[in-house]
Amino acid sequence: MLEIGELHKRFAGGPDAPDGKIALDGISFAVRPGEMFGFVGANGAGKTTTMRIVMGVLQADSGSVSWQGRSLGYDDRRRFGYMPEERGLYQKMRVAEQIEYFGRLHGMSAATARKATEDLMERLGVAERRNDPVQALSLGNQQRVQLAMALVHDIEVLVLDEPFSGLDPIAVDALATALQERCRGGVPVIFSSHQLELVERLCDSVGIVSAGRMVASGTVADLRSAEDDTLRVVVRDPSPGWADGLPGTVTVSGDRHILRTTNGDDQEILRRAIKAGHVEHFGHERPTLTEIFKEAVA
Amino acid sequence: MNELMLVARREIVTQLRTKAFVTGLIITAVLVAAVSFAPKLLDGPNSYTLGTVNSQRLPLEAAAPDSEFTWRAFSDEAAAKRAVLAKDVDAVLVNGTKVLTDGEIDDQLGVLLQSVNREAKLGAAGVSIPPLKMESVGADTRYQAARTGLAVVLVIVLFMMLIGQVGMVAMGVVEEKGSRIVEILLSTLRPWQLFGGKIVGLGAVGLINLVTILTVGLTAAMVSGIAGDFPPGMPGLVAGVVVWFVLGYAFFATLAGAFASLVSRLEEVNSVLTPIIMVIMVSYFVAFYATIDPTGTLAMVMSYVPPFSSIVMPVRMAATEVPLWQAGLATAAMVAAVLAALAFGAKVYQRAVLRTGARVRLGDVVRVR
Repeated sequence: MLEIGELHKRFAGGPDAPDGKIALDGISFAVRPGEMFGFVGANGAGKTTTMRIVMGVLQADSGSVSWQGRSLGYDDRRRFGYMPEERGLYQKMRVAEQIEYFGRLHGMSAATARKATEDLMERLGVAERRNDPVQALSLGNQQRVQLAMALVHDIEVLVLDEPFSGLDPIAVDALATALQERCRGGVPVIFSSHQLELVERLCDSVGIVSAGRMVASGTVADLRSAEDDTLRVVVRDPSPGWADGLPGTVTVSGDRHILRTTNGDDQEILRRAIKAGHVEHFGHERPTLTEIFKEAVA
Repeated sequence: MNELMLVARREIVTQLRTKAFVTGLIITAVLVAAVSFAPKLLDGPNSYTLGTVNSQRLPLEAAAPDSEFTWRAFSDEAAAKRAVLAKDVDAVLVNGTKVLTDGEIDDQLGVLLQSVNREAKLGAAGVSIPPLKMESVGADTRYQAARTGLAVVLVIVLFMMLIGQVGMVAMGVVEEKGSRIVEILLSTLRPWQLFGGKIVGLGAVGLINLVTILTVGLTAAMVSGIAGDFPPGMPGLVAGVVVWFVLGYAFFATLAGAFASLVSRLEEVNSVLTPIIMVIMVSYFVAFYATIDPTGTLAMVMSYVPPFSSIVMPVRMAATEVPLWQAGLATAAMVAAVLAALAFGAKVYQRAVLRTGARVRLGDVVRVR
């Protein structure tokens, strides 16, 4: 279990902000082995700062990061896979050599690193570029190399900052599959993303950060049930005033009236709608993650 | 340590593979070889063609064993004059009493002819003068020309190598910081492993360069024959040069890398490196001056003061004889300076390299915590 407890971080201020800027204001969450944790939040909410602190490239002012009950140390982090938001590659180094080099740095033997590199290049679709310098690759392919570097060794925890940004749909699928495989192998995966549909599809649980605090977290289902379902009814050409006395709001779009409500007797509403006109749609709608997100950070 | 070596190995492999390294090495090797042959080509052994008219040949060979003399006999003075004006001969001895030349006689040849003539005449009269015994109570200056030549070549080579390798370290640090790859590296490596690996790796590349230059230079000198003029103790000098290069490189590269870690863009490297380049330049000028006046106060003093000693001392060692205790003292002082630079540089690097964006102020890094 990876536990992040009460992280605080304030960046030193400049002349325009003498008090500095509070980046993290007591953020806490936990990720279980085999869990995929989606980290969402507006730009500047504190996602990257949190991940950098987890990876030890930034020091928190206070708070703790622990792995399997122990405070996280340098040797633990060597078994973590990390992809920072700001991508970095040796532009002149060859693709295969670069991935292999990072495998070696994580303590793999030359032979294992080579094999793992071959496997990953196949899986991520950059195998035929193995001997090209990275700078000759398209940005999308460079991104795949970057991922391969994070995945090459025998990882215990995976921390990825915006891994899906800039990828084409095929690459997104390849990456999603690779992450799910790691997850099934018992690795906790944390990734941040602005692509909320993707987070909703892939993640077991989600944390929503705003202004350095975790404003909502839990499984996607939990977050949804916390929000009330919305009943949405679409009636074409209804008699005027049909919805008088019903809860919720009615919006008119051409000859269609759309009623949205989170309370009231749905059967009564349906009867009224049928009497009033032609019912085109009647159903409960679960809020999407996007709606939950907007609600949470508002 | 293992990780440090992995980092170093990557630096070496990456550098050795670049075209710039290979062509640079070939060009330097050719230049050094050319320098080693140049003295031979420019002022090879003195050789004179001399003529006689009604005279005995003078025993010049015995007095100047390094020079070559070719003799021609002329039937009369007129024929001899024609040969002198046609530059077929350098000088003609007429009747054993006068010498014909075209213009002023070559200094050395003139002195030689006079003294050998005097000796021959005195000898014939039964007077024998034991030759003066020369004894130097100062430094051994027999090899002065060769020593100065060696020192000049050395100061240029050391300067170029230091500037080149130190620049590489700085660029490498900024390349990693600017591309943010340092963030991934430092989630796996400790800062000293990454920084140390880079310094060791690029230092090894520098050593490969230096050893190649020394080998080519010495081989060429042996082939061309100027190695015969070299002073004794060449192996010691070569070893000294390598040691001083390593010390100088370690000092300057550590500081250059640390200063470079303050900036995130290659364009900013020059500005942070300026103080270091200035110090190397000053060392270079003092060392150059030391080739001319290796026993002067300036050269003496600066050869003990780190980091100037890293160029001045090896140059002094080449230009003149340096007592062992002096070399030892200078080395000890430089080693202490290198250790201080390593401690300071590692601290700066560790604190600055992850602070991307605007240039980090050195004061901020040194003061915090």
